[in-house]
Amino acid sequence: MKSFNLENHPKIKPGFATPENYFEQFSEKLLASIPSEEKPVISIFAKNKKWLMAVAAVLILAIMIPFLNKTNSENQNLDTASLENYLAYQTTISPDELVSLLDYKDIEAIETDLNLDDATLESALSGNNYIENYITE
Amino acid sequence: MLEEQAFIQELLNPKTQNKAFQVLLSNYQKPIYNHIRNIVLNHDDSDDVLQNTFIKVFQNLKNFKGESKLFSWVYRIATNEAITFLNAKAKRNGMTSEDFQQKQIEKLTADSYFEGDEIQLKLQKAIALLPEKQQLVFKMRYFEEIKYEDLSEILGTSVGGLKASYHHAVKKIEEYMVSN
Repeated sequence: MKSFNLENHPKIKPGFATPENYFEQFSEKLLASIPSEEKPVISIFAKNKKWLMAVAAVLILAIMIPFLNKTNSENQNLDTASLENYLAYQTTISPDELVSLLDYKDIEAIETDLNLDDATLESALSGNNYIENYITE
Repeated sequence: MLEEQAFIQELLNPKTQNKAFQVLLSNYQKPIYNHIRNIVLNHDDSDDVLQNTFIKVFQNLKNFKGESKLFSWVYRIATNEAITFLNAKAKRNGMTSEDFQQKQIEKLTADSYFEGDEIQLKLQKAIALLPEKQQLVFKMRYFEEIKYEDLSEILGTSVGGLKASYHHAVKKIEEYMVSN
């Protein structure tokens, strides 16, 4: 029986050939194609970074305006209320002292705020037991 | 190994990358072409796969962690590219990979870039009948003379498993060579 021993047989080559100068041309072709393959990719964010940051800053400010306003007005209200309470419950300050601090414009403003008509004024005065004392004074 | 580390650094450094890649190309293009050609058999297809392989190598240099040898890494990419190409082409032609390969073997006699004699053609036919893994191991060991340790790194198989595959492949080839 015939036998074939691959290890003892002279080396058999694959038998493939390439076109002339194939490898030289391949190198050139590949190296020429690589820069176009690998153009640095600049993301939209990186490209417009300054603009996007400016827009973001404006947006943040715009969003914060209502909060800032609210905080300020709350502070003001709080201050006015505290001030009123302070003045109302501070027994060391007499009504006369308070009145002396008001000028004509302030009194006018209080009158406008109260917006009293004659009937209301009359009923308020008639309910006051000390009205006569005030009148004689 | 130190030289390889330095070379890898050159490949990763954008300033030296292009020059280092040219060196890699000139060192590897012939053996990688032969490796691909042994798998896909036809020159034009090998040219396409070779180009895809090196483009992939270039694009993935930044991901190369140096865990395996550069040689093994490039061979692994080439092997995957060649097998993927072969399977995709077989699918496009509505054939199994095995049938497609048989057809490629039949075309070898008319291929102007196949210069093999009768025994070389017979060996190619014998190889084409082997299972895919045995084909790969046989071609890489017998034609390309890659060491088992390197083969193990490229194919992700133990040296023992590779030796067994090669042994089976040789036995089947020898039987074919006698009986045909």
